[in-house]
Amino acid sequence: MGDALLSAMKTSASGLEAQSMRLRIISENLANAQSTGRTAGSDPFRRKTISFGEELDRATGASLVGVKNIQGDQSPFKLEFDPGNPAANAAGYVKMPNINMIIEMADMREANRSYESNLQVVKQAREMMSMTIDLLRGGN
Amino acid sequence: MITSAISSAGALLPTQSAPLQGAASSGEGFEGLLKSLGTGAMDALRNGESTAMAAIEGKASAQQAVMATMQAEQSLQAALAIRDKIVSAFLEISRMQI
Repeated sequence: MGDALLSAMKTSASGLEAQSMRLRIISENLANAQSTGRTAGSDPFRRKTISFGEELDRATGASLVGVKNIQGDQSPFKLEFDPGNPAANAAGYVKMPNINMIIEMADMREANRSYESNLQVVKQAREMMSMTIDLLRGGN
Repeated sequence: MITSAISSAGALLPTQSAPLQGAASSGEGFEGLLKSLGTGAMDALRNGESTAMAAIEGKASAQQAVMATMQAEQSLQAALAIRDKIVSAFLEISRMQI
């Protein structure tokens, strides 16, 4: 079974990694919010979504978290009238990415909060372990 | 009696608990115990160090580096606390009046 506090720290560490990955996806979405296709009428950047899943740690039996899959958002692209754009189709419309800045911002805030809570668990587990080891010291 | 109590305390060190118990039960006494405590802590330290280097090179994530370093620190602290306890127990015995 191993030390429960150590598995708690390991689990939180996996949470930290998962939320970092989420932030990476959000940053890709935000950075590519204006990325159109290269040729006339082609598809622009498609918004990426990330989902998480349970991962069993065989050594300790703890349920870690991991990135389950990263896929494209299938919602329709926005059409913008811009005949001068190289990616415009015959009618002069350009397909823009299906990214909503406000949704990405909210997602980012949520990733931040989740990261914070995992970090708090690491701190707490570390403190509890230090307190236990301190029993061996003091007042001999 | 003291050594068996201390050998169970060695479970605090995740990497080296099995050899520690072996050393204690085979009657090597304090010397073997201190040695295995030291190697256990050293293993954790080395792991922390290599992960930190990998993080600097960009091969490992910052989280992994911090976790490994913290684990090394914790192992070292545990080893030091146990060592202090063993040494004080040993001194206690040596001070016994015969």
